Amino acid sequence: MKKRLFKLLSVCMAVAMLSVLMSACGGSGGSGSPEEGKSTDSSAKEESAAVDDGKPDTSKKVVLNWYLLGDAHADTPKVVAEWNKMLEKDLNATVKLNFTTWNDWQTKYNLLLASGEKVDMLFASSWADFFKFAKQGAFLDLKDLLPKYAPETWKEVPEQDWKDVTIGGKILAVPSTYPEYTPDGLVYREDWREELNAPEITDLDSIEKYLEAVKTVKKVTPIKGKAWNEVNTLFHNYYDFKNIGGDSGVIVAKSYDTPRDVVAYPFTMEFEEWVKRMKTWADKGFWTSNTLSIQQESGDFIKTGTGAVYWRNAPGASGFIADIEKNHREIKKMGYFPFTRFHNYAVPNLGINNGMAIPKNSENPERSLMVLEKLRNDPKYYNLMTYGIEGENYVLNDKGAIVSPPPGKDPKKGYGIASWGWRYSKNEHPSSNRWEGEDKLMEEFKAASRPDIFAPILMDYQPVKSQLAAVNQVYQQFGMPLMMGLVPDVDQALENYRSKLKAAGVDAVLAYVQKEVNAYADEKGLK
Amino acid sequence: MGYIVISVLALLCLLPFWLIISGSFSAEDDIIRDGFRLVPNHFSIDAYKAVFSNPMQIIQAYEVTVGLTLTGTILGLFFTSMAGYVLSRKDFKYRDKLAFFIYFTTLFSGGLIPWYILIVNYLDWKDSYLALLVPALMSAWNIILMKNFMKSIPDSIVESAKIDGAGEFTIYWKLILPLSTPGLATIGLFLGLSYWNDWFSANVFITTESKYPLQFLLYKILASAAVLKTDIAGNLGADFKAPAETLKMAVAIVVTGPIIFLYPFVQRYFVKGLTIGAVKG
Repeated sequence: MKKRLFKLLSVCMAVAMLSVLMSACGGSGGSGSPEEGKSTDSSAKEESAAVDDGKPDTSKKVVLNWYLLGDAHADTPKVVAEWNKMLEKDLNATVKLNFTTWNDWQTKYNLLLASGEKVDMLFASSWADFFKFAKQGAFLDLKDLLPKYAPETWKEVPEQDWKDVTIGGKILAVPSTYPEYTPDGLVYREDWREELNAPEITDLDSIEKYLEAVKTVKKVTPIKGKAWNEVNTLFHNYYDFKNIGGDSGVIVAKSYDTPRDVVAYPFTMEFEEWVKRMKTWADKGFWTSNTLSIQQESGDFIKTGTGAVYWRNAPGASGFIADIEKNHREIKKMGYFPFTRFHNYAVPNLGINNGMAIPKNSENPERSLMVLEKLRNDPKYYNLMTYGIEGENYVLNDKGAIVSPPPGKDPKKGYGIASWGWRYSKNEHPSSNRWEGEDKLMEEFKAASRPDIFAPILMDYQPVKSQLAAVNQVYQQFGMPLMMGLVPDVDQALENYRSKLKAAGVDAVLAYVQKEVNAYADEKGLK
Repeated sequence: MGYIVISVLALLCLLPFWLIISGSFSAEDDIIRDGFRLVPNHFSIDAYKAVFSNPMQIIQAYEVTVGLTLTGTILGLFFTSMAGYVLSRKDFKYRDKLAFFIYFTTLFSGGLIPWYILIVNYLDWKDSYLALLVPALMSAWNIILMKNFMKSIPDSIVESAKIDGAGEFTIYWKLILPLSTPGLATIGLFLGLSYWNDWFSANVFITTESKYPLQFLLYKILASAAVLKTDIAGNLGADFKAPAETLKMAVAIVVTGPIIFLYPFVQRYFVKGLTIGAVKG
């Protein structure tokens, strides 16, 4: 550890020395700015040249530097080479496609965007800190470029989606056009439910009866891995408590219908009722007593026949069930209970749940946008990048579904990269081996759809940073065991938890969130 | 009696290693169901299959790592010992200032982002082996260590060589270096290990898969196996699901295997070299 530290420190000092040297050598003042000035100059020129003949100018050959999240597939270099051949012909451009890998991609995003590296396009997403970077001014305003360089996209992305990515009057990304619902829910062993004659799962009581039957008759711990997600999301959804302002931990809006009614949920009657119930669940052995320290997913245990319930969002559940149907045939039937059924409404994801953005330092934003336009709208480009090489990585069956890998090919040929940023429902093909229930679920969600009013509330917790940190500490230390029923005396633990939260400054955090929520609700005209 | 106690203790120390080995050969399902065992219930090489699913990749990564470790250690030793030697000479005028300048770097740093900006924007070393090699060549700690070691070599040796007409570099190369073997071995081991174990620079700077060093490649395999289980991957078409638990063990073995054999060769220099480093300044 010490050695690492020393190493890091010494490297940094070397850097400092070198950069001093460099800027000294550079002579005329600031080290980075002249170059930057040049690049904006040239792009401005390009733009004006393009305006003249009314058509985008593609006479100069460019290499675009793109970044995607995650890992490349083994066949990606082949795919990109193929793709570049087409691009070079059509747009006189090639793309160097980079991947962040799944290791610490957050750090890499920070570095890429903070260092001003010349990146022409990258995957952007609300869950990958799009709003944070947007606020910091890391992305280029596309408002003027879009109608000219990506007219089709400009026309076809719904108004609401453009609104999602408009911050301070600037359009900072191109959202994917793929309506998605990712509500929480429980995956469970339907075959066991039938075998045990447990009631169909429709509400909390039936869930309890099911868990009890599994525990007593099957002698299986129903949620054997870390059960936190299962219990926590169930709690929020059962009472319709809506997480608000991202990382606030214990602060929720009491219901979808009353967004201004913000509370710290540990002080509610509902929470009291809930933890008492969870105590009985824990005592009945629905999960193990070390559940908070286990790192294994409950789903792993379902696969080995030693678990019965697993928390997943709807697409995740679909993938999980498809995998079980394929690789664990001894499990006859899986079921899924989406928590949307508690209150009968579903909230679609924001348009910018996935999308593509152009960083401020891009050298060729126009061309990059033209490539994106092609990629989204031309099925030839779309299929190649999204599904790989036809016949090699995938084939389409008679229903237009993707079979990947093609029959008779090595399973490793099945293609997959994080292509979500340019997804467009018009060109998207469903997978042939998806779980049958998924389409039905999507229908159900669509019918009960209501717009997302909570996700766009973005909070900067700077004024209450220390209180929030203290609250989160208390939450981890006292709130989580209480929620999981892992305390000897619920009343006492609850009282203790509440007083600790008060001492940590939960009121200040609550007041701050309330203020921000009011401001947001006024702006959007919510009740 | 003493021998028996020591042997038992030694065996106990080996136990965790044995658990890793047996874990890497167990079936994933067994580990989830029953936990780790000394003898696998079902012998399985799935984890190794996952690690070596693309053998060319591992071989390439080995080449990168071995190449980096060798060049890095040799160059690093050369530069570190030169710096250490200069600082150990009492007749070097700016000795104290320079020593302070180096020592100072151990107290304050510029942070990750300036480092990144320097390497990517100014030196243009993104996706280049240089980014893996150069930053770790010299470290203040190693230089101080080296200086202190060389201080213990009597000045009269330098003087006698001068009288015989040797130049500065000859003195350093022919006299000081051979006398500093324990120090060199120690620092060589430090350098070798740090190059061998370094995954962070590759994580930050390398984007081409064929340039990944071993540690990072394996770290990446583990991370991908973990990601494939999360919700993010709900839509990833990858059909290949790696056995995450046993994979960790297999990766640990693949990574540590070769470097463990380095220890016996340099260990005898180790104690002496380290005690010298205990005195700073």
